[in-house]
Formats: sequence, structure tokens, C-alpha cells
Amino acid sequence: MNNGCLENRKKEHDNSQKRPKSYKFGSKSDDFALAIAKVAVAQLCESVGFQGFHLSALETLSDISVRYIYSIGKTANLSANLAGRVEGNVFDIIHGLEDLGSNLGFSGASDVDRCVVSSGVVKDITHFVGVSDFIPFAYDVSGFPVVKESTKTGSFWEKEEVPPGEHIPSWLPAFPDPETYATRLSVENETMGVSNGKKTESELERVERTMDRSLLNLQLRFAHNENKGGSSHGSGYVATESNPYLAAPLHVGEKEVSPVVLPTKLSNEVALRNPVHVDVGNHVSVLETFAPAIEAMKSGLCDSDNGKKKLLYDQRPTVRFKIGIGKKSLGTISDFGSQNEEDLLKIASWFGNDNEKDDKKRRVEKILKESVESSKE
Amino acid sequence: MNHNRQSNDGKHDDDSALSDFLASLMDYTPTIPDELVEHYLAKSGFQCPDVRLIRLVAVATQKFVAEVANDALQHCKARQAAVVKDKREKQQKDKRLILTMDDLSKSLREVGIPVTCSDVLKKNGHAFLFFVFND
Repeated sequence: MNNGCLENRKKEHDNSQKRPKSYKFGSKSDDFALAIAKVAVAQLCESVGFQGFHLSALETLSDISVRYIYSIGKTANLSANLAGRVEGNVFDIIHGLEDLGSNLGFSGASDVDRCVVSSGVVKDITHFVGVSDFIPFAYDVSGFPVVKESTKTGSFWEKEEVPPGEHIPSWLPAFPDPETYATRLSVENETMGVSNGKKTESELERVERTMDRSLLNLQLRFAHNENKGGSSHGSGYVATESNPYLAAPLHVGEKEVSPVVLPTKLSNEVALRNPVHVDVGNHVSVLETFAPAIEAMKSGLCDSDNGKKKLLYDQRPTVRFKIGIGKKSLGTISDFGSQNEEDLLKIASWFGNDNEKDDKKRRVEKILKESVESSKE
Repeated sequence: MNHNRQSNDGKHDDDSALSDFLASLMDYTPTIPDELVEHYLAKSGFQCPDVRLIRLVAVATQKFVAEVANDALQHCKARQAAVVKDKREKQQKDKRLILTMDDLSKSLREVGIPVTCSDVLKKNGHAFLFFVFND
């Protein structure tokens, strides 16, 4: 017994390398077909006389029956291909059956000049059909696997379009709508043929309209940004129609935009360091930029009225860029009204959040000194 | 000459027998559904628009499975008969004929499909199948 077990284990180890071969019928994609096979095999076993079965035995037998079908098909296909045919016929199947039954043997197997038509295999099957009872399959099986209908992109010929260019045959799929590549439309205009002229004009108008619409929606979205209401639904829906990222870029002066306010000190330093001309609409002093903030602080650091909030949002909020100036405090904060140290610290924290704690402390000290000096004056 | 004539008649008979048989297949619906057979034939690469051939394959498979099951049944009954001789108490229990891996592997080995399943694995409910088909 021990020797037998060892041999079995060796066989399993050797044959485990062949595992991938059998995976064809063990994969999850085949579960449905295997389940149907199990039902059919169970019905057959019941007709033979069995009253029950072990699950492993049923699975084994159904797997083998499925492989039987597969191997018949493979052999039949092979013999059809050898004969130079793509489709199989009854003789190919009989050849396949003979191959599979050759180890058991069938009547007439040893005849040299036997005809396939009078094969013993067929006779056996005929006899079997005559003898066996009619057992229909237990369930209604629809055709599987269900083939997904592919969305056919029409060819030029089908869409009755003339392909742009002689080198493109008409049976190729047509180009996508120009809306999807709207930015390049101006370049395309030159390359497209005369026949497409009218079409491109109407499409251009359509594109422009969609662009305007998308821009409007963008504006609306920014305006409603603070409300955080459900109005974003509407703008979002429109945005999906036309991609704003693919809209043509705006030229300077096309759209009225609130001016970007730079602190004067920053802008001056930038101008000194970089010879690039900074195009800022208005040079606004530091005081004016921080006027709303100062007012807010006067009323109280925490509370702010709605009116003042509106004041704040009339102007575009300042965008703080790090232009590589270094760790310097932002401007003179000498005109702040509040005297409390806590408030000053809070103000300092507004301007020094991203620096290290040491710098923060230094700044706080600086601010304190300056405010004290100014108050003295 | 006579031999040729006889063989020609024989061929003619065989042809008709085959065609009759294929026609009769349309009346007899095999237990194995056509869709299942079509699926696996398509998987193997066998193309055929003829329904009768699919029925032929289904019937052939049904015959094969029935043979194997029959052999297993014989093994099971033989085992029960052997047991009954020893103990009569088990008679009532073993009235139920159950398809087990033991009987199945014996009958499959006779057909030419060696199925090995060690005792340890059987306890866990797994069966490792190693057999050779002409893939």
C-alpha cells in the first residue's frame, strides 16, 4: 500500500505540470456549460439505474463527457482540413468516432477496405438509439454564449461621404465628427476638398455655438461656486455636451475678466528679477488689496457680514504664486488697526503658513515690532 | 464482377441506412442539449451548419456516458453482492445505488481513461484528473 501511495504522489507531481492543459475546461468562463453537462449526465445516470452519486464522481464524468465532445470535434476538424475543407461533414465525424473508439474496438475495425459509411460505430449508435428511452433534457437551454452586437462604425461608402483624400479607400470606417477635434478645424479647412466645403461651414457654426455655450456655462459655474447649490447639475449637464477643454483658446481682450491683483511689492520684485513684461491691468497698492481683509478684521476676526463677503468676492481672489522670492514677509502691515497680540499672530499665520516654524516666529516678531513702532508714531 | 455489384449494392444500402439514420435523429432528441454540443464543437474549431451532425455527436456522447455509467453500475452491484455475502445487516443500507469515484474510475480505466484519485484527496472532496485525450 505504501509503495502504491508513493507512486500515486509521484504521478500527481509529474502530471501537475500538465495542469494548464486541463484548465481549458476548468476555467470560470466554462462554468455555465459545465453545469448544463452535469445536469445531462445526472439524468443519464438516473436512466441507467443509479439513485445517487458522489459530487466528485458526477463532476468527473461530466468533465469527461465534455472532453469527449471536444475531441470528436477536434478530430473531425482535422480530417476536414486534411481533405482541404473548412466545414466538416458526416464522414469526418465518423472518422473521429472511430478514432475515439479504437481502443475499445468496434465491429469491422480490422477490415482493411471498409467503407466509412458501413462503419461499425454508426451501427452501434443506431442500435443504441433504437434501444434507449427518450429522455429530454430537464431545462430549456437558449443558445450560448450570447454574442454581443458590435457597434459598426460606418464606412465612407455606407455613410455616403467622400473620403478626404484619394489615398483613403471608401470601405474604411469614416472619420469621427469634427466636433471631437474642433481646435484643429481651421487647419483642416485648408486640407479638406471642395465637396466638403458646405458641410464644414455648417459644422464650424455648430462648433462655435457649442463653444459659446460651454464658455457661458463655465462662467455661470464660477459665479455660483460659493452657493454650492444643486445648480451645478444643469451646468454639468451642458458641459458634458461639449468639452470645454477642447474649446479654442481665448485671445486677450475677448472676454471681460476681473483683473488679477498682485501686491505691488511682489510685482515690483518680479519686474526687477525677470525682464518679462508683466501685464497687469491696474497697479493696486497693498492697502487696497488688503482693504477687505482689514475691514473684516475690524468687525471681528471670526464673524463677517454677508455684505462684506460680497465685497470680497467682487474682485477675483488673489492667487498666491511662489515666484521664488525667498522667505520674506509680505509687505508692510503697519496700518492694521488691531492691537492684540493674538490677532497679530493670527494675521501673521495667514502669511506665513507654508514656512517653517522658525521663520514664522521671526516674522511674528517682525510684525510685532513694526506695529508697535507704528502705533508709537 | 459479381463481387463489384454486390459491393455496390452494399454501399447503396449503407448509404441509405446512414441517411435514414440521420433523418431519424431529428425525431429522437438526445438528452444532451444541442446548444451544449454546439458550444464545445465551436470551441474545438469544428464548423458545421447541419443540425443532424450535431445530433449525431450528441447521441454518440450519450452512448459513451451511458456505457460508462452502466459499467460503474455493474461494479457497484458486484460490490454490494460481495458485501451481502459477508454481512446481512448492510443489506438494507446498500439498496441505494450510488455512483462513487471508485466504481467510476474502474469503468473509465476499461474505456482507456485512467483516472487517479488518492484516498487523502477524496476525503477533502477533490479529485485530480489525469487522462490523455488526443488534444
